[in-house]
Amino acid sequence: MRGFWPVYKRELFSMFVTPLAWIIIVVFLVIQGMHFSLLLGHFARQPEVVADHGPVQAFFGGTIFLYLPLLILCPGLTMRAFAEERRSGTIEALLTAPISTTGLVLAKWLAAVTTYVAMWAPTALYMAVIRKTGELDWNVVATGYLGILGVGCSYLALGVLMSAMTRSQLIALVLGMLVTVGLFVMGIGEMVLDDGWARDFCSYVSVWSQMDDFSKGIVDSRRLAFDLTMTTVPLFATVRVVDSWRWGLWNFSTSMRC
Amino acid sequence: MIEVSRLTKAYGAFYAVNDVSFQVGKGEVVGFLGPNGAGKSTTLRILAGFLGMTSGQVRIGGHDIVEASFEARQQLGYMPEAAPLYTEMRVREYLQFRAELKGVAGRDRRARVEQAMAEARVDDVAETLILNLSKGYRQRVGLADALVARPPILILDEPTAGLDPNQIREVRDLIKGLGERHTILLSTHILPEVEATCGRAVVIARGRIAGEGTLEELRSKRRSSRARLALRPARGEHEAVEALLRGVDGVKSCKGEAHEGLWRGEITWDKKVDDPELALEELVRRLVEQGHGVREATPSKASLDEVFAQLTTEPQREGEPAEGGAP
Repeated sequence: MRGFWPVYKRELFSMFVTPLAWIIIVVFLVIQGMHFSLLLGHFARQPEVVADHGPVQAFFGGTIFLYLPLLILCPGLTMRAFAEERRSGTIEALLTAPISTTGLVLAKWLAAVTTYVAMWAPTALYMAVIRKTGELDWNVVATGYLGILGVGCSYLALGVLMSAMTRSQLIALVLGMLVTVGLFVMGIGEMVLDDGWARDFCSYVSVWSQMDDFSKGIVDSRRLAFDLTMTTVPLFATVRVVDSWRWGLWNFSTSMRC
Repeated sequence: MIEVSRLTKAYGAFYAVNDVSFQVGKGEVVGFLGPNGAGKSTTLRILAGFLGMTSGQVRIGGHDIVEASFEARQQLGYMPEAAPLYTEMRVREYLQFRAELKGVAGRDRRARVEQAMAEARVDDVAETLILNLSKGYRQRVGLADALVARPPILILDEPTAGLDPNQIREVRDLIKGLGERHTILLSTHILPEVEATCGRAVVIARGRIAGEGTLEELRSKRRSSRARLALRPARGEHEAVEALLRGVDGVKSCKGEAHEGLWRGEITWDKKVDDPELALEELVRRLVEQGHGVREATPSKASLDEVFAQLTTEPQREGEPAEGGAP
């Protein structure tokens, strides 16, 4: 784990002194602000509100406006992680320092997660707005954010892996979006397929079902296990890929020139 | 401090580095010399632990670069070719990051960074964004980075590439000064660099070691291809002397002029002449037999440039496997 702390600090520094993080956060908050205001308008016109179907539930995964930005912005947060280091050559100075690959990969991922959390933090104000006008179950809000964090951790881990696959930020972004959108589309299978193993599988990977549970205050350990798997497996794979540049396990550095 | 034995790096059928062995002792400043594409950077990258080797062994300060990569890398300050840096950082920020990354304790870090900046003469741009630095400054920031953790061994890949003559002189002086406290291996394709800074050179060509030794050894190992003569032709017949010189077996060309009864000039030996000094001795005997006076006959010492050209363009010696063959 040596090298984790300095790399983590530098990654965050680099995120926020370049416009990337700010652009992503602004785009995200504009979309979520509109999203929230549409929801408020919608629920204000409802004559009565059914339990488990209030604005909080709708905000945490009831509409496509939660997922669409995440599918695009998460790979945006991680696209630079390794691709830029390899394009500019700084990876050489980084890997010849006495640091561990695991520490390096975790630092880059956790810096992205930290930015992701910072991106979501202002949305807590929306909850305060709801609290002013009615009852709010803070536990449900907490599980909603937990679900958001789980989705973010896995998307960002996948994004870091995709960034390690190429020297181009743009290709890293596109690869990352292919994976996240692919997972999302698989989840939609739950709504279109007939009963059977395929539907069960789709239901298991569905980010939509996951957020449906968490937004109602249900913390299903299967969902957490899925997020944990989708986080640790890509991160482990990234460590292997980075080590393979050095020791050429699959000779990635020569065979993958993209 | 650096031990390389039978190092080979293959990319498919292409051997970038082929059976290379050499050592750098404590306190030595060794030049790693070769034309572009000879395998210098590849070798240094392997030494620094950035690239894996196909076969062979590298030990840095007694630690195997594969088995004990972490300990080996701790002994090392490595400056990659063209010194890639994070352009969005300021010089001091960058060096503080590098110092922390290399495990310099927090209480020493500020002092070490200041010292490295002073040594590499980048203290005047400490607060400048690396993005706005010239090539020469970036190169020296890379050097400061290599120095910041005070490693016993420095590996510098083309430290003067892309600098102007003044900067080159400064960096050379700097390296000479560093040689008093560090073991240094630096690569270059420029000869005067080796003459100016290094005590010893390892010459690499086409992925193989082509020569090794102190500069004197390298020069003397290589036959001189020229000889300087000053003759007093018999009966003042300059043309006869030149004709005689041209007629000698092994003399490729002869150039000179007569002045006040003396003929001064230079002859160049053919490549097929095995021992030019012996040939010169024979030539002098013949001149004397013909009645010419010999005032001077000096085998001119090969300049390092000639040595370099000879070492790196010489055809493969017999008994060596062909290019790209199995190690």
